[in-house]
Amino acid sequence: MIAFENVGKTYPDGTTAVEDFSLEIASHEAVVLVGTSGSGKTTLLRMINRMVDPSRGRVAIDGEDVAGLDPVRLRRSIGYVMQASGLLPHRSVLDNVTTVPVLRGTSRREARSRALELLETVGLDPALARRYPSQLSGGQQQRVGVARALAADPNILLMDEPFGAVDPIVRADLQQEMLRIQKELHKTIVFVTHDIDEAFLLGDRVVLLRPGGVVAQQGTPQEILAAPADDFVRSFVGADRGTRTLHVEEIEGRRIVVDADGRAAGVLEPPAGGAARA
Amino acid sequence: MSTRSASATQVLFDAPGPRGRARIRLLSVLSVLAIAAVLGLGLWQFGRNGQLAADKWLPYLRRDYLAFLGEGLLGTLRATAVAAVVAFPFGLLLALGRLSRLRVLSAVAAAWIEFFRGIPMLLVVYAFLLALPAYGVTFPRFWMLVIPMILVSSATTAEVFRAGIRAVDRGQHEAGAAIGLTSGQTMSAVILPQAVRLVLPSLVLALVSLLKDSTLGYVVSVNELQFQGKTMVSITRYLVQTYLVVSGIYIVLNILLTRAAHLLDARMRRRAATG
Repeated sequence: MIAFENVGKTYPDGTTAVEDFSLEIASHEAVVLVGTSGSGKTTLLRMINRMVDPSRGRVAIDGEDVAGLDPVRLRRSIGYVMQASGLLPHRSVLDNVTTVPVLRGTSRREARSRALELLETVGLDPALARRYPSQLSGGQQQRVGVARALAADPNILLMDEPFGAVDPIVRADLQQEMLRIQKELHKTIVFVTHDIDEAFLLGDRVVLLRPGGVVAQQGTPQEILAAPADDFVRSFVGADRGTRTLHVEEIEGRRIVVDADGRAAGVLEPPAGGAARA
Repeated sequence: MSTRSASATQVLFDAPGPRGRARIRLLSVLSVLAIAAVLGLGLWQFGRNGQLAADKWLPYLRRDYLAFLGEGLLGTLRATAVAAVVAFPFGLLLALGRLSRLRVLSAVAAAWIEFFRGIPMLLVVYAFLLALPAYGVTFPRFWMLVIPMILVSSATTAEVFRAGIRAVDRGQHEAGAAIGLTSGQTMSAVILPQAVRLVLPSLVLALVSLLKDSTLGYVVSVNELQFQGKTMVSITRYLVQTYLVVSGIYIVLNILLTRAAHLLDARMRRRAATG
């Protein structure tokens, strides 16, 4: 469990990135922090692995204040995926993935065989292991970034706009891959994005931030869509533009769900047993 | 106008019109003619004074002449190699020192670098030849040349390394930190390998200038190429010929060095482009 307790961040030059933020993230939960630039979402994410230290309040992992932990050891125990992958350009894919396990004392051999497994987990051909990052496509690089983050088998995975720099088709691909991986591995994931669709797709819970790290609304995607807290949330999730309104049309005896532009979104089936997730 | 340099020029200057182009062409032709005339005049003057006579050039094909110059060549290469092997790592340390967060270390490194970058190498050589022996500190002649080379070259290469380190994308520092490297590990495993690749061409330039600096060996009578040339002139009196041959050797050496660097660079690029 990760707990933010009244944290705030003010930089030496006087700018306040986060005013007063509190949140609890349960183990094995995927929480998405979503907001525009300046909302402090990345700052909050980096407080978890101490790349940013809060000026006020505390961040605790399983009840232990991270401020009391050695930053290097802390970071080796937490997976981190950043935008544009942050891979080391002068090292092969395999070396990139094995860096942290080797530093933690895993034998090179063991780290390598595990790295090859991980490449498969993230949907990469192990034959790519000998390549260098610049020889991969943007989507492939992001997959390597995810494999590297998983290499030390961390309980927590931090993802900072990991799919922001790839084209929409590849992004959709990576998002599906992410859902599959999470179903398999059940990590505690904190994911930062400015893309509300991505947030609704990947988050068990979504936290919508205003500038300064102020929580505008938090809840499951369903809760937020069903009852946007205010105009800010309504405009952010696109409810006011009608982009999310769907209606049902009866065609040849079947009920078709149609979006605001008149495009068919799917067929409406009566709930079978439990309600499926949107 | 499709090349990058052409478009860069266009940012600074208007593209010349037809009259401007005609003027540029005329001036180009005139300057080429002028340069050719000067060279021709020089050659004619040499010829008139008998400097082009075969008997003044053929001795440079004799074994003893070649051996004498070859000894100088070896001396030059030895001094350059020893100086480079010490100066480049030392320069890297100085750069790291200057970039250090420890104020004192950074200030000392900066002062050291600025001092040896700012004074002519000849002065340092004189210090080792004349000043230090006055206080009873003497070095073998080889080191009277090589230590000044190291001091001056390490200061200039320190700045090369510093530029390289700062040119590596800031995100790489963060990438290193995010995956749990200490700042030292980030520097040695992430930043430096990329920085060295970035500054490789400048390091070759430093090597070329180091090779040329070794000519100061004649001041302290080290048997390097320049000194051998000087000795040869005093014996044979073939001033023009000897210095032309010696210059030729230096030019060929430096071309070879630059070539080797290009090959190395191309190989590293093929292996992994920085991206």
